[in-house]
Amino acid sequence: MSKRLKQNLAAYGMVIPAFLVVMLTVTYPIISAVIQSFQDEKTGAFTLDNYAYFFTEPAQLKNLLFTLFVVFVTVAIAIVVAYLLALYLRFTKSKIAKTIGTLYLVPRFVPAMCAVYAMITIIRDSGLINRIGLLFGMDIKLGMMYHASGIITMNLWFNIPFAAMMITAGLGAIPDSIIEGARDVGAGKFKTFTSMILPLSIKDVIIAATFVFMTNVGSFTTPYLMGGNSPKMLGIALFDQFNKYLAYNRSAALSVIMFLICSVSAGVYIYTNLKEQDWEKQ
Amino acid sequence: MMSDRKIKLQIKDMTKKYDNGDGVEHINLDVYEGEIVTFLGPSGCGKSTILRTIGGFLDVTSGDITIDGKSIVALPPEKRPTAMVFQSYNLWPHMTIYENLAFGLKLRKVPKKTIDEDIKKMLALVSMSGSEKKYPGQLSGGQQQRIAIARSLLLKPSLLLLDEPFSALDAKIRQQMREELKKIQSDLGITVIFVTHDQEEAMALSHCIVVMNKGKFDQIGTPAEIYDNPQTLHVASFIGEMNFIKQANGTIAVRPEDIVVEKGAGKGDLDATVRTIMLMGHYVSLTVQHGDDVVKCFIDRDISGQLKENDAVSLKIGKHTTFPNT
Repeated sequence: MSKRLKQNLAAYGMVIPAFLVVMLTVTYPIISAVIQSFQDEKTGAFTLDNYAYFFTEPAQLKNLLFTLFVVFVTVAIAIVVAYLLALYLRFTKSKIAKTIGTLYLVPRFVPAMCAVYAMITIIRDSGLINRIGLLFGMDIKLGMMYHASGIITMNLWFNIPFAAMMITAGLGAIPDSIIEGARDVGAGKFKTFTSMILPLSIKDVIIAATFVFMTNVGSFTTPYLMGGNSPKMLGIALFDQFNKYLAYNRSAALSVIMFLICSVSAGVYIYTNLKEQDWEKQ
Repeated sequence: MMSDRKIKLQIKDMTKKYDNGDGVEHINLDVYEGEIVTFLGPSGCGKSTILRTIGGFLDVTSGDITIDGKSIVALPPEKRPTAMVFQSYNLWPHMTIYENLAFGLKLRKVPKKTIDEDIKKMLALVSMSGSEKKYPGQLSGGQQQRIAIARSLLLKPSLLLLDEPFSALDAKIRQQMREELKKIQSDLGITVIFVTHDQEEAMALSHCIVVMNKGKFDQIGTPAEIYDNPQTLHVASFIGEMNFIKQANGTIAVRPEDIVVEKGAGKGDLDATVRTIMLMGHYVSLTVQHGDDVVKCFIDRDISGQLKENDAVSLKIGKHTTFPNT
């Protein structure tokens, strides 16, 4: 056996277990779900009804739009706040900045369930904020439970640290001399931001945004604990179809819809990552 | 003649202390118009600190800095009449060479036509014509640094600051860049402050050298003054090659080229034995042992031809400085 062949066999041998696991647990279920989503529940014949249901049934359509609304607002606020935080951490050299830089990831280490319950005890209408208000004779009812604002607030708790971490890494790669050079030739702080910092970090911002988008489309824990009965996030709607109504074909269709929504963002991610700017080519 | 010239930059009792206690204290310096002044010293001696306080990238703790008689310490970098070339090639990687060069001019609202003409002229000056559409990543280190210098010069700075601009380049290109910088400087008559740890570079470029050590000025003078009359042991050891020969009444500092070597003992100031003979090209580098000291001498090839290792020689000490023993 030639040396090259041996090397190849060894390489395939190492890849095959992982390959089989992926085929069995990812590829097969995806293919079977896609097939199932086009089948009639009783006859198994080809149909588009499973998809039509989610776009024509008013309650389901509302769920879809509600999910997109929550996700887009989450992405927008999380990215803006995370970018500001990352800029602060990158360009301020005070003790406070250092402390924030060390602590801002802590929310990521709190288990999701604990974090959601903690948030609930604060914002619900009989929660901490309400009780503090009562001390001063005010009956504050935030009304954030079972409402989009509660879910978005919780999403920000999870996603701002994550997005800030990605953007901070990108900003860290911009050398000081690039910024000093801009200041030196006469650019003020704002101009330095728009001409240097933004174009050199926009890629990381977009990538962070796609990650925040994808993780929130299918989120479950937060809307399950904090969301209302209608409209629902798609993750809960899928749970209902599968676990309560045992409607497997519709579940499959909804899964594919959620996958397609995510794949838009995956497309943006791959495009941003692969596209070399002119200046990145050697 | 010195007093007729106009003072461009004046540093008055300037102190810059970092939080950890490092920094420079009580710095006083006058720089005349049209001069190249070099801060020379080992890394960490504070030379870059002074340059960055002039450029506005560091605040001074106390004291004042004036350019053309006007204080600049309160101004942010973008309001100062200085331009800086950094050690790292700090061209903006996402902009073409043209955009890099035009950026500062656009901020000054220079008309597009003038910008185009200026850039063309400047690229010719730094021998980089035709590179407008390239990106910095497509240029070599030396080319990038030329563009960085061009970018600074385009803004017609009152004072050009260069922070070890050639230290990342290889030896041959470094030498070429030095010559070009010197030519550009004398053509344009601008005032330049140059920071380097390379004494050869400082000697080659400067009208005036400030030798620094541990946050203080050791000596200020022309390259010839510094080379011929070093005032401290540090200056003597830092600039050029220098032998230190310990005697009872002090340490003699003598350069290898100022020692005359003769075959046989007892004919000169000192006796020694030959350790190594190395041919350097048109001259020979000879090391000899005198007591505990190893002395280096540069000698002609015709003398070296008569010598071999362990031969006794006598040394005649020519031009030298004596420092008291510490």
